[in-house]
Amino acid sequence: MKNNDQSRVFDLTDYKRQDFSVCLGCKICASVCTVNDLSENTNPQDILQKLFLGKDIPADEPLVRYCTGCYRCTGACPWNIRIPEVIRALREELAIESPFEKAFKGSLSIWGRVYEPYVLLMAIPFLLKGGYMKHMTRWMEYMGIHLPHKVKRA
Amino acid sequence: MNYGYYPGCSLTGSANKLDKGIRQVFAKQGHTLKEIPDWNCCGAFEFGDRKELSEFSKKNLEKARGLFSEIVAPCPACYKNLREADEQNEFAVTHPLDLFDDAFIGSIKPVHDLKGQVFTPYYGCILLRPKETAIKRTTVMEEVITRFGGEVAGEKVKDRCCGGNQIFINKSVTEKLSKLVLEKSKGTIVVFCPLCHMAMKTFSGERKVIYFTDLLLYIMGENVPKLQSKIERGGKEETT
Ligand code: SF4
Ligand code: SF4
Repeated sequence: MKNNDQSRVFDLTDYKRQDFSVCLGCKICASVCTVNDLSENTNPQDILQKLFLGKDIPADEPLVRYCTGCYRCTGACPWNIRIPEVIRALREELAIESPFEKAFKGSLSIWGRVYEPYVLLMAIPFLLKGGYMKHMTRWMEYMGIHLPHKVKRA
Repeated sequence: MNYGYYPGCSLTGSANKLDKGIRQVFAKQGHTLKEIPDWNCCGAFEFGDRKELSEFSKKNLEKARGLFSEIVAPCPACYKNLREADEQNEFAVTHPLDLFDDAFIGSIKPVHDLKGQVFTPYYGCILLRPKETAIKRTTVMEEVITRFGGEVAGEKVKDRCCGGNQIFINKSVTEKLSKLVLEKSKGTIVVFCPLCHMAMKTFSGERKVIYFTDLLLYIMGENVPKLQSKIERGGKEETT
């Protein structure tokens, strides 16, 4: 399945295809990648190489699904390549969006801010299915209730 | 000193404790925090398009223009987004931890000490990486803890990822990563990031998780139940 519009992935980041030609293949990024703490066998360099060579990246690739945006790879890479931003762009291009992320953006378009009670309400089916309810008591200990704020638009 | 203040969304909700803490600590030091009028969300990590993401913070900078030259943003995501959007370095976008310098620590008149208590200062990711926006005072929490008599633990996990970013996407990722941090640390976890706070609190069981601001306020004499002995709390059982 050819599912990446790779030029769009590059458009979304601050990178151009040729920027990845500097990657040394040293895999230092893989040696520090947080996703590997999850017993997944992933290699961020592989993503860059596939993008450089115009090869397809499947949506179920563990790094695309689980990258936490921790920048450990960037911090260790000799070229300081911002891999999480590339992966974030890939998620966008592959239209991977959790119901929570949808609700987050919904709140932004209404109030210009994240109004947490709204986000939680909109994401309730997802929260129920995902086993989040058991954490609710603990969250309520510190969440606090407040009214939404309306950002004045210019 | 007068600072422009960007609390960001979580500090108006789930991280309201951090908001109150920051305001109190700054007030005690004689600084004024004034919110950027009508600030909007910074977009956090929710946008794959770098330009779209940057627009949110550019709007906030626009709202601060002419009013402030120095902006304080406590949430690591907001702080990073604001700093990156300020391409011309027009503002000094600063993280509170970088304002807690030697003079600040030296000026604290301790009322409570931390003797006999063990802490893991936990910075997480975005305060320390990427290097362009990383804070400079990367051991400030340790300095405060040891100076006021506490014991520092968990050095190896201070910069590990709690997976907070995935908490509402793939919860099992956050659970596993947070538990790794919890297992390899000791004592009370001291955090600054609202997302680390949420991830740690969700999976910490009986372990205590506090904001660094609460630690400062405790040292300065405020009542912080989690840090007080039962006797200091009037013999009452701990609730949270
Ligand atoms: S930012 Fe993503 S790719 Fe990089 S180390 Fe962290 S989890 Fe791995
Ligand atoms: S650390 Fe950097 S240069 Fe080395 S393989 Fe990873 S992306 Fe390429």
